[in-house]
Amino acid sequence: MATELSEQELALADVRQRAVADLEQIGTTEDLEEWRTRYFGRERGEVSAILKGLGKLPPEQRKAVGQAANALKAELEGLMEARGQELRAAERLAALDRERLDVTLPGRRAARGHIHPISQTIRDISRIFRLMGFQTLDGPEVETDYYNFQALNIPVDHPARDMQDTFWVVPGQILLRTQTSNNQIRIMEQVRPPVRAIVPGKVYRHEAIDASHEAMFHQVEGILVDETCTMSDLRGVVTRFAREMFGANRKVRFRPSYFPFTEPSAEFDIDCIVCDGKGCRVCKYSGWLEMGGSGMVDPRVLRGVGYDPTIYRGFAFGLGIERIAMLRYGIDEIRLFSGNDLRFLRQFT
Amino acid sequence: MLIPYTWLRSYVDSELSPDVLAERLTMAGLEVDRVVYGKANLATGELDTWDGIVTAEIVWLEPIKGSDHLNATRVTTGDGKELSVVCGAPNIRLHDRVPLATLGAKVGGITIAEKKKMGVLSQGMLCSPRELGLSDDHSGIYILPPDTPLGVPLAQIVGEPVIDLDIKAHRGDLFCVTGVAREVSAFTGKELHLPQTALREKGTAANKLMKLEVRDADLCPRYTARVVRGVKIGPSPQWLAERLILAGMRPINNVVDVTNYVMLELGQPLHAFDYDKVADHTIIVRRADPGETLTTLDSVTRQLTPEMLLITDPAGPNVIAGIFGGERVEVDDNTTNLILEAAHFKPTNVRRTSVTLGLRTESSGRFEKNPDIELTAIAIDRAAHLITELAGGEVARGRLDFYPEPVTPREIPFLPSQVEWLTGMTVTRNECIENLQGLGFGVRDGGEGADEALLVTVPTWRGDVEESADLVEEVARIAGFDRIPSTIPVGPLPEPLPDDWFAREDRIRDILVGAGLTEILTYSLTNRLTMAKLLRGADAGEELLLTAPVTGADERDTGNATNGAITTTAASTRALERRQIEAIAERLPAITLRNPLSTELDSLRLTLMSGLLNTIRENSKHEDTGLWLFELGRRYLPTPELADGTGGAQERRTLGIALAGPLAHTWLGDDRDADFYDLKGIAETLLDGLMVARYRFVPAQHPTFHPGRCARLEVAMISDEAAGQSAGATPAEVIWKTVAVLGEVHPEVADRFDLSERTYLLEMDLERLFSVVPEVVKHAAIPRYPAAQRDLAVLVAADAPAAEVSETIQAGGGALVRDVRLFDVYTGEGVPEGKKSLAFALTYQAPDRTLTDQEIEKTQAAILSALRQRFGAKLRG
Repeated sequence: MATELSEQELALADVRQRAVADLEQIGTTEDLEEWRTRYFGRERGEVSAILKGLGKLPPEQRKAVGQAANALKAELEGLMEARGQELRAAERLAALDRERLDVTLPGRRAARGHIHPISQTIRDISRIFRLMGFQTLDGPEVETDYYNFQALNIPVDHPARDMQDTFWVVPGQILLRTQTSNNQIRIMEQVRPPVRAIVPGKVYRHEAIDASHEAMFHQVEGILVDETCTMSDLRGVVTRFAREMFGANRKVRFRPSYFPFTEPSAEFDIDCIVCDGKGCRVCKYSGWLEMGGSGMVDPRVLRGVGYDPTIYRGFAFGLGIERIAMLRYGIDEIRLFSGNDLRFLRQFT
Repeated sequence: MLIPYTWLRSYVDSELSPDVLAERLTMAGLEVDRVVYGKANLATGELDTWDGIVTAEIVWLEPIKGSDHLNATRVTTGDGKELSVVCGAPNIRLHDRVPLATLGAKVGGITIAEKKKMGVLSQGMLCSPRELGLSDDHSGIYILPPDTPLGVPLAQIVGEPVIDLDIKAHRGDLFCVTGVAREVSAFTGKELHLPQTALREKGTAANKLMKLEVRDADLCPRYTARVVRGVKIGPSPQWLAERLILAGMRPINNVVDVTNYVMLELGQPLHAFDYDKVADHTIIVRRADPGETLTTLDSVTRQLTPEMLLITDPAGPNVIAGIFGGERVEVDDNTTNLILEAAHFKPTNVRRTSVTLGLRTESSGRFEKNPDIELTAIAIDRAAHLITELAGGEVARGRLDFYPEPVTPREIPFLPSQVEWLTGMTVTRNECIENLQGLGFGVRDGGEGADEALLVTVPTWRGDVEESADLVEEVARIAGFDRIPSTIPVGPLPEPLPDDWFAREDRIRDILVGAGLTEILTYSLTNRLTMAKLLRGADAGEELLLTAPVTGADERDTGNATNGAITTTAASTRALERRQIEAIAERLPAITLRNPLSTELDSLRLTLMSGLLNTIRENSKHEDTGLWLFELGRRYLPTPELADGTGGAQERRTLGIALAGPLAHTWLGDDRDADFYDLKGIAETLLDGLMVARYRFVPAQHPTFHPGRCARLEVAMISDEAAGQSAGATPAEVIWKTVAVLGEVHPEVADRFDLSERTYLLEMDLERLFSVVPEVVKHAAIPRYPAAQRDLAVLVAADAPAAEVSETIQAGGGALVRDVRLFDVYTGEGVPEGKKSLAFALTYQAPDRTLTDQEIEKTQAAILSALRQRFGAKLRG
């Protein structure tokens, strides 16, 4: 009796064998649904039919067959779930694969233009001096002889005028400023100390244009006046500037020089950024690059704007912006800045 | 200023090598441009520097087959490379060190080039002493000592060092060898030996032999003269000629050379006259008469003016004082008697005359820098002495010396603590005294104030030293600027800026770069014709260039004018157009330079537009994308102050934008040429980015633009009265102010600028714009009640401006309509001829409640009724 299987048990074994075999053949979730209907469909599912038929069995068989049928149902459902997961994963993968892109195609870029390297350099200079409390101001380019020369201790017929060939609008009276230093006077006339400002802007020189000379170029003037500053502060400020702009280890050299509106006057050099001071073509084998002029504001200039030179001290400095940009970006042709060739401009930020 | 090193060393016991000395001079404020090496060539009167000729060693040597004298050599300059050089001289041996003229060097007027001799490459030339100008020896190559370093310029081996100084204009005392020697003495502490003169006078007194009359003492505060008789003109001795050549002057004859030598030595220019040619032996110093002329030694006849000072005699002018001599009284080979002149002329007058005549000489360059007035007597004695030594003759007794107001040396009270006060470096009182004395200043205790006070006497040659700060510089530079510490200023900061234009322009820059535009920076200088090309129409001009567009623009354009012509050819049209442009150019109010570099750059720009268009054209020659450009810069408008010389221009901060063609090419197929709405969108993006609350675009006419594609950008100003009364101004109180004009460039203008593509241009006045840019934006609460969306599509006349329809919707809807957005413009099927369909998306929202459907429908009806009334609009079904 125990070895003899009932008709129902044989039927269950048969269903199991077919169901498992069928399941292995299934390749899509749609087929899986069909398989489920075939075996578990409420109306005609084969497993469902066996379960439904339990009632007709004699009571002694009902329990055993019932247990076997339920176990088969649980087993097949488990297999179906697992198969379903596999198929869904495969189908998702296939679907994603169909969406595969050529990621090497160029991106859809947001529009972005370029800031002119002179503007960018002025921006960087301004940021550096802002760190040290300097405000960025501007002033007129069409200027009187007074502000450009006389108030800066450069009277008419002073030989220093040779250093700056001038474009005249009204000869002897109105000119295009040859230096941003005109703003020293304008700022000091407008405010009382403390003064801490830089003034970047265009300047004009009546000079033949070549690879290193422009008739219009840019300078930045700096001025600080208060009751405590000395030339050592000037040195500290330009040193900080040089290191922010050209690298943390830059050396700065101060040389006595002459400007009619500063006393004492100094030119400052940095060790060559190309050869680190060893000597090369860029620094003309001197190891040093001239950066700008500076000095303590001349007492005559201070008195001229109504500052008492026994109370107030000040320093001023001037830098050439094209020169800084040329050194930073490795440009050896100044005319590129006013040439506005997009092949040049696109190389900058 | 060329200072021969050995000449300098003859006055100061410095042992410093030329390079070290150059470095020390630079660091003391006497900037050395370079140290030149060269040898005075007495035959040419020039300095031989043998550029490109370096020392080399022969490392391989073999006779060339088939030649009876040529050798193939290989030489090295010590850099590890070898050069092949063919040489015909008999005296060379392996390992000889020789002068090598490298490619490009000049030898005897011939430039060395690579060539083949008898099939052998020759990459240079080995030189003989004669070829180098060293001697007449041409028997063989110049063989250098075996320990000669390799690869060194020959000049450094056989030449003398000459220090080339860039002396600044305030130091008139440094334009001479002794002046530089004094500086060297000061910073090395070595003793200074000034030249000593043992002058012996003889015979008749000079004032019996000649007369001196200075009529214009204001321009000639001192005039010193001597008479030397019985000289014999001839060549200078070699040592003197060589020194002159090394210092950059050409030897002429012993007398003239002495005057130049003493000028180079002491800094006092001198002049020698032929005593017998000076009429009545009388020197008269006076201003030129009107119309007077003088033929100078260069055979140019100079027109003189009464501002110029002359040295004359009763027969007429001889010399332009301090600048240049004339022919009549010059020393020549037969001269035997001399009048020597050493004078002091007013520096500014010498400078002015020299600039006026365009004549710069060694003499004028020194006189204009205010040399020591005390020098005239010293220099004339020195010159008279040297002349008798070199040219014989005797010096007449006494000097004629016109010097009515002898100068007294300036005294300056000086506190040594001022050095630290100004420079931050610590210098002791003793060091101050030593440094000043080393430079020739007199120093003694005294002055006012503290015990430490000094009284400093300024030597007469230091006219540049006027007050304490000048003395600080003298002390500090001799002490060395490298002793100045480096600190960060600790003083108080200034008050914040009211108008930070730098930050404002930077905001604009960021927004525009983010919109794809590239910044350009063009010359502020241009010319009138270029600007006039922007203006179409015969009557255009004046204000038309300014940002403010002109409504009702001139319609009598070039077309009408040419139609009247009987034969209209392209050429005649162009000629006519050219004349019209020229007529407009003349009327432009541009500020014009009196001394331009060229006619191309003779005026300041009135607009950024022409620079933008030129840049578009130039770039379009090689670029087909990205011609989306902007410039931030100034326009320069005339002012009444400018006209009368008392003030500057009105410099308007301005933004210009130009677009042409696509921004970029992509593989995505979305390339598109720039159009009006790109430009307008950029303007809108900018205004939104700057938080400008209310602005509008109004159709406009402007002579630069396409008549149907031009707009004026206006921003809402709140009138002062309204602003004073309450925060929320009603529309009636709004003043609309034009800040920009924008549009498509008129095709005729585009032709004039050779533009190949439709180009869009905007010019914006930033000062007007920033009058409405808020400092800070006030936050508004996020709405708490939901918004409702409704669409509204209406049929209106095809030419009805969309902006007005939109405004009518907003006005009709009132406060409940939070946003009106146009999302479709349609003509075509289903829309009657002459009409267009405008579809708007409306957002309804109230701050205090959820709106009901009834409220919204009622408002929609009100809007439709307003549209019907204003535009005869119909709801589109």
